[in-house]
Amino acid sequence: MVGDFFVAVGDVLSSETTYSSGWRLAVALAFVAVGEWIAERAGTINISVEGSMLAGAFASAMGYDASGSVAVGLLIGAAAGLLVGAVQAHFSHNLTANQFVVGLTLNILVLGLASFLNSSLKPETATAHVFEVPGLVEIPLLGPALFGQPWPLYLLYPLIPLAWWLVYRTRWGLEVRAVGENPQAADVSSIDVNARRRQAIYVAGVTSGLGGGYLLLGQVGWFEDAIVGGQGFIAIAAVIFGGWTLRGAMLGCLLFGSANSFRLSLPAVGHPLNSELLSSLPFVLTICVMALFAHRTREPQSLARPFIRGLR
Amino acid sequence: MTSPAAELTGITKRFGAVVACDNVDLELRRGEIHGILGENGAGKSTLMKVLIGLVLPDAGVIRIDGEPRRISDPAEAAELGIGMVHQHFSLVEPLTVWENVILGERVRLDATAAKRRVGEISERYGLAIDPDERVSDLSAGLRQRLEIIKCLRRDPAIVILDEPTSVLTPGESEQLFEVLRRVVERENKAVALVSHKLDEVLAATDRITIMRAGAVVDRRGTGDADAPGLARAMVGRPVSLRSEGAALGHIETFEDDPAVTEPAVEAAVEATEPQPVLSIRGAVARGRDGRTLLDGLSLEVRPGEIVGVAGVEGNGQAALSDLLSSLLRLESGTVRVRDTEPPPGRPGAMAAAGVAVVPADRHESGCVLDMTVEENLTLVSPPRARTGRALLDRAARALLDRAGRQAHAERLIEQFGIQTPAADAPMWSLSGGNQQRVVLARELSGDPVVLVAAQPTRGLDVGAIEYVSERLREAAASGVGVLLISTELEEVLDLADRIVVIFRGRIIGEMDRVNLDVERLGLLMSGAQEEAS
Ligand SMILES: Nc1ncnc2c1ncn2[C@@H]1O[C@H](COP(=O)(O)OP(=O)(O)OP(=O)(O)O)[C@@H](O)[C@H]1O
Ligand SMILES: [Mg+2]
Repeated sequence: MVGDFFVAVGDVLSSETTYSSGWRLAVALAFVAVGEWIAERAGTINISVEGSMLAGAFASAMGYDASGSVAVGLLIGAAAGLLVGAVQAHFSHNLTANQFVVGLTLNILVLGLASFLNSSLKPETATAHVFEVPGLVEIPLLGPALFGQPWPLYLLYPLIPLAWWLVYRTRWGLEVRAVGENPQAADVSSIDVNARRRQAIYVAGVTSGLGGGYLLLGQVGWFEDAIVGGQGFIAIAAVIFGGWTLRGAMLGCLLFGSANSFRLSLPAVGHPLNSELLSSLPFVLTICVMALFAHRTREPQSLARPFIRGLR
Repeated sequence: MTSPAAELTGITKRFGAVVACDNVDLELRRGEIHGILGENGAGKSTLMKVLIGLVLPDAGVIRIDGEPRRISDPAEAAELGIGMVHQHFSLVEPLTVWENVILGERVRLDATAAKRRVGEISERYGLAIDPDERVSDLSAGLRQRLEIIKCLRRDPAIVILDEPTSVLTPGESEQLFEVLRRVVERENKAVALVSHKLDEVLAATDRITIMRAGAVVDRRGTGDADAPGLARAMVGRPVSLRSEGAALGHIETFEDDPAVTEPAVEAAVEATEPQPVLSIRGAVARGRDGRTLLDGLSLEVRPGEIVGVAGVEGNGQAALSDLLSSLLRLESGTVRVRDTEPPPGRPGAMAAAGVAVVPADRHESGCVLDMTVEENLTLVSPPRARTGRALLDRAARALLDRAGRQAHAERLIEQFGIQTPAADAPMWSLSGGNQQRVVLARELSGDPVVLVAAQPTRGLDVGAIEYVSERLREAAASGVGVLLISTELEEVLDLADRIVVIFRGRIIGEMDRVNLDVERLGLLMSGAQEEAS
């Protein structure tokens, strides 16, 4: 049994497609995690990213079906993600409903809606073409994985430094960090705490919608109800895993994406292993990391606490 | 005559059944420092929050430069030229100094320009600070300085300071008042200074308004005021001289006649022969950044005595209190509590050995603002956790025995005169001073072997100081070893049987209450070594 396992690991690791597919899966997570990271820095655990991602996937399918253009599809996907984010933001940071209840409700709602619309509209879709970045794709082993992919994947590359710049180099980012840490202090410094928190959720909505669009048009090629299947939640786990730093979150995505591709590759190389067990890996890893490094990582001090003026 | 900078008339604010402000009139004039004096819970902060737009009054009118205004937001207040230094730090800890200073501005983020601005303000008001330092690494004094810079950066016409000195050393307070004088005289600003400390108000203000239970009870020019009169007006009854002395910052209380010691103190001095209940030997500790926090500190406390640790803030007091709260690991050295040797740094070890700690930063780490007063009163000696998460754990355990807990809490509320509408009111709804009382009540009621009190009267009014001093004496009289860590010399002089001086992480001198030499003490605190001990 144990021997079998190592044989399987060896087979998977020597298969070229593992790397490439691992990267693709990591990228889908990273789109979501980039935005979720910002939302959490502002103080919201925005679980509606799962819904944003699904809405983005379905809307981009519809957009592609209508226009025949991947770019338009992605744009509409991002808009759909934003819409879900906007609803979440309004309910949790305008009407002060519980952010988890809102997120959960939205996720269920989007799933039902997308599934119904898909069965009645049946959008025709395809995958975006592969674009090989000249020169870079020649890099041995990693070249094809990083630079020989469907072109929507490359959108992520500028997105990461952009998010970093936004959070650490702009006034908006400074205020986002302040409201996530100490909303009372931000409030008396005349920052609109709930507006910043809403805006951070919009960003998460857009990137998650884009992530959904990428999943559909860059990876899977057609819409199915299970296309997202909890990847939004795994992206949230990646942010926590990464200790609320961008670098850590991206590392988490890479790790969880690889684990996922590993799981998918096992049957392909002829090793039936309990893949349900493997799919719980991200969560198990996150819990282990949290247990090990809990004293070192520093979560935003007001994470998941609503802000109402006068409350302390 | 021009209209006053700010004029509040008939301000009334109710929180449920509590009338925090009851038809209050207040006038802040340009070129004047206006002292606002009152007990804990008198409504001072609420009144100031009305002016800054954090609390909307139920009734009343605010006029700024003669114009009636409705201020419903700190941003609006800022536009009207009102700035405030809040009673509790309103800084974002993980951010740097310059980031905190420019928080809330509207212009593009420009680090170099911002740092230059901080430098300019520092220079203009003589408030030196390193703009690149992270706030979490700053001492209380520097944080307060940063708060003031933050308030002054927009050049407000009206400056409100809510108990700015409760976290400052006497030297720092004096410096602050100099800055305020400059602000008032040179720039013709109007300043409101909220305080408990009578000497401060007498020395620094031009005019005084005294509040009690939400209403203004007296108003006078500082020239016509004297300390006993103010104390009486504030508390509504005559106050004992000694605690008044502590509140006044007078050290003459027994300097006049050090030989006169009460019988209780005599007894305590005699009782110093038995085994120490607390003994720290050669404690060496370093901070995360490699800075030496404790540098071979040794110290003993015997049952029944109050040992005062005097010293200027930042000389290892925080580390000492952390050590005794199990928050600090030692590189070398030992801590003994009676017959046990609790391993330093292991969570809960000191508390289990019988050490109770009243932390200096009670508001930050001594209580959980989102929980009720009762819950805060009955959590047992919480280790100081940054987020208070550890407290939540204990709270879960404390869920047992609800009735007993409730009775206990109600007794403490009564004993300590904690002003709260109910035992299950949330902690955040209490006034700053009353939150402090809750922490004090909890720690003092825990039946400890050793009681560590760090700045126990910080932020308390005269009446409460009196009470706390009594409780510390009582604790000592019942055989508890009391370690009093305080930067306020008069407090140490007033309470301690034996005084040790802490300087750069070690004890550099010691003297008995009977052989007291205030001058030598002052020299020691400034680091002058003793020739022979
Ligand atoms: N948000 C609130 N909700 C309910 N009650 C409140 C609230 N804010 C203040 N209070 C109550 O109003 C009263 C006055 O409080 P305030 O903070 O103004 O006192 P203070 O004079 O500043 O006292 P201290 O010297 O202790 O800071 C207190 O009884 C307090 O419990
Ligand atoms: Mg107050």
